[in-house]
Amino acid sequence: MNPSDPSHSTMSTPREGSDLLAVHVVRAVGVRKTYHLGGEAVHALRGAHLSVKRGEYVSIMGPSGSGKSTLFNMIGGLDKPDEGRVFIDEVDIAALDTFELAWLRCHKIGYIFQTFNLIPVASALDNVMMPMVLAGMTQADAQDKAVGLLKKVGLGDRLLHKSVELSGGQQQRVAVARALANDPAIVLADEPTGNLDLHTGEEIIRMLEELKNEFHVTILTATHDHKMLAASDRVVYLSDGQITSIKNRGELDIKIGHIGEKH
Amino acid sequence: MASSMIEPLGASGAIQKQIRLPFSKAVQIAWRNIRVRLARSLLVMSGIVLALAFLAYILCSDALVRSLITAGGPLVESLQKEGKLARMTSTDVSAQTWWLVGLALLVSFVGILNAMLMSVTERFSEIGTMKCLGALDSLIVELFLLETLFQGFVGTAIGIAIGLALVFLESLFTYGAEAWTLLPGATLAKLLGLCVLVGIGLTIAGALYPAWRAAKMQPVDAMRTEI
Repeated sequence: MNPSDPSHSTMSTPREGSDLLAVHVVRAVGVRKTYHLGGEAVHALRGAHLSVKRGEYVSIMGPSGSGKSTLFNMIGGLDKPDEGRVFIDEVDIAALDTFELAWLRCHKIGYIFQTFNLIPVASALDNVMMPMVLAGMTQADAQDKAVGLLKKVGLGDRLLHKSVELSGGQQQRVAVARALANDPAIVLADEPTGNLDLHTGEEIIRMLEELKNEFHVTILTATHDHKMLAASDRVVYLSDGQITSIKNRGELDIKIGHIGEKH
Repeated sequence: MASSMIEPLGASGAIQKQIRLPFSKAVQIAWRNIRVRLARSLLVMSGIVLALAFLAYILCSDALVRSLITAGGPLVESLQKEGKLARMTSTDVSAQTWWLVGLALLVSFVGILNAMLMSVTERFSEIGTMKCLGALDSLIVELFLLETLFQGFVGTAIGIAIGLALVFLESLFTYGAEAWTLLPGATLAKLLGLCVLVGIGLTIAGALYPAWRAAKMQPVDAMRTEI
């Protein structure tokens, strides 16, 4: 498939022509993916196009089975498309071997999961240090940076707590700090508020928004959470393996509720 | 910041070097994993201890008897008269005993395999997370092997010590301490070396498949909330 072919008419992203290379940190072009489950072909993605600008906060919305996770995993370098191409920082992930993919995941992408996924037996500090140590940073440097990040997410007094000793919200803060450890180009958050109560979820969303502005990091979330949508610059709607619409923040018809209020 | 992010990925050779974990850190992680599952680790270790104690005991007592018979002399003759030492020149360990040794080793192998497989299943999302953070398959294998090897080393050492102590005590009462002077040190060292090899080999054999399974797991699968 020709990567420059803008055949998908429903894509409403403005194309910046020659600026495209520098501006877009993620580009998915005509992505198709078919899974074979029990002999039956499941078309998870049927030609999805998406471009995400550097420093943007984009939410991907869609019912389960819409291909949301598949698209997400591809952008995260966890899965490869059958057809079409996914570029992260203008690198075609399909062309990468295992080592390069691991490198990409380590240096360019920060992950935040619905279930937090901290290493349960390790301290908050060790969890945040892990990606940096994997990236080859010295223990001392990694520790300094991890302490700084944990302070930033408000856990300066819980550095040595194991994740089992932390509340859900605190665990997710550790995960946010861990995601930012290697100064990634993209932070991928898969339902980051899914396992949190309303108030804690809002705190995490607010924190992500602040960090986005401070670190100029691109944030991509998959979510059902309307509070999350309100914080997004753009919302991408996915249905049946295709992107059906992309709305900018201004076009969103969402009751913001009490976001931004102090509790 | 922005300029460094636009930089394309380098050649694959340069990339490979950058994803690594210092060995000391890997050891630290493996040790931590043993500590949090101490009861299971001890159980696995006890299997290795028993099997290796049995093996060391059989090998060493056989070697001792052989060396006694080969040496001959008044001590041996008096022992043979008392019926404490067989007259035959070949006091080979019976096939039955080897079966038992084999079974003990097999049980301990299955014990290691089972415990490590359980460990891998239990840590699915942990492994997936590590992979998302950029860990290579080889690192996952390294971590699991290290963890098993810790248990293997300690279990083997304790097992051999127990086996040797048993042979020594038994022979002390049966043949007297003098008998040990007839067993060449080199022979003993060779047998103990063999025991160490069997212990470590057993451990690695038991850990390889679980470690491989852990490493081959796709990070995507590990990320699913329900498995």
